[in-house]
Amino acid sequence: MFGPFRLTNPLSGGLLWKIPFRLSRHQKSRQRLRLRHVDHVISTLSSALAKQAKSIRKIERWKEVMPIEQEMLAKDKYSVFDRKVKRYRKGMHKVPKWTRVSQRLNPPGF
Amino acid sequence: MYFRITLLRSSIGLPLKTSQTLSALGLKKRMATVYHPVTPDVAGQIMRVKELVDVSEVAAPKTKAQMKAARRPDPGYYVEKKEYVAKRGDGEWRKLYEVGAVMGETVGRDDA
Repeated sequence: MFGPFRLTNPLSGGLLWKIPFRLSRHQKSRQRLRLRHVDHVISTLSSALAKQAKSIRKIERWKEVMPIEQEMLAKDKYSVFDRKVKRYRKGMHKVPKWTRVSQRLNPPGF
Repeated sequence: MYFRITLLRSSIGLPLKTSQTLSALGLKKRMATVYHPVTPDVAGQIMRVKELVDVSEVAAPKTKAQMKAARRPDPGYYVEKKEYVAKRGDGEWRKLYEVGAVMGETVGRDDA
């Protein structure tokens, strides 16, 4: 019943990983930092190019389409649209490589 | 002007194009820093790996030796005076205390 060999779900049934349903507040705060870091990289690139009176389409398009961290809704920061999930939303941390991808936009109305 | 690019996150498990862009930029390990001139080409490359790197704009690039010197901690001492060397009559170099000279004087030093 107690001790290192007690019967728990992962021990008796083999592979069982439990991913919490929600992000913790520390995960959310690190997520905000990452979003802000990407915003900072984009603004550095565009201001450096603007000094030489240049720009690239990729950055212009990003600035036009992507909201910055402060403009985003909490819903979009920490969760993502998924058509297979009940109520169409799952936690951002269920996205593969979620700490290294830019996922900011979701279908309108969801 | 130059971009100072530091690789903060690894590209392990990301699409091949990401790792290839990093190696094209010359970033092989985490925390490696490279300098590239501010051009649209380089900006496009950084754009592809924007989640992995830290970017800032600097006036001049630093060499590897300069970057290492900047990381070096303060030794906690400094050398006030270098040891003087004097040339003896027979042409051999000797330290000053060996020829018995006073500190601060340059005795018999040809190139001083």
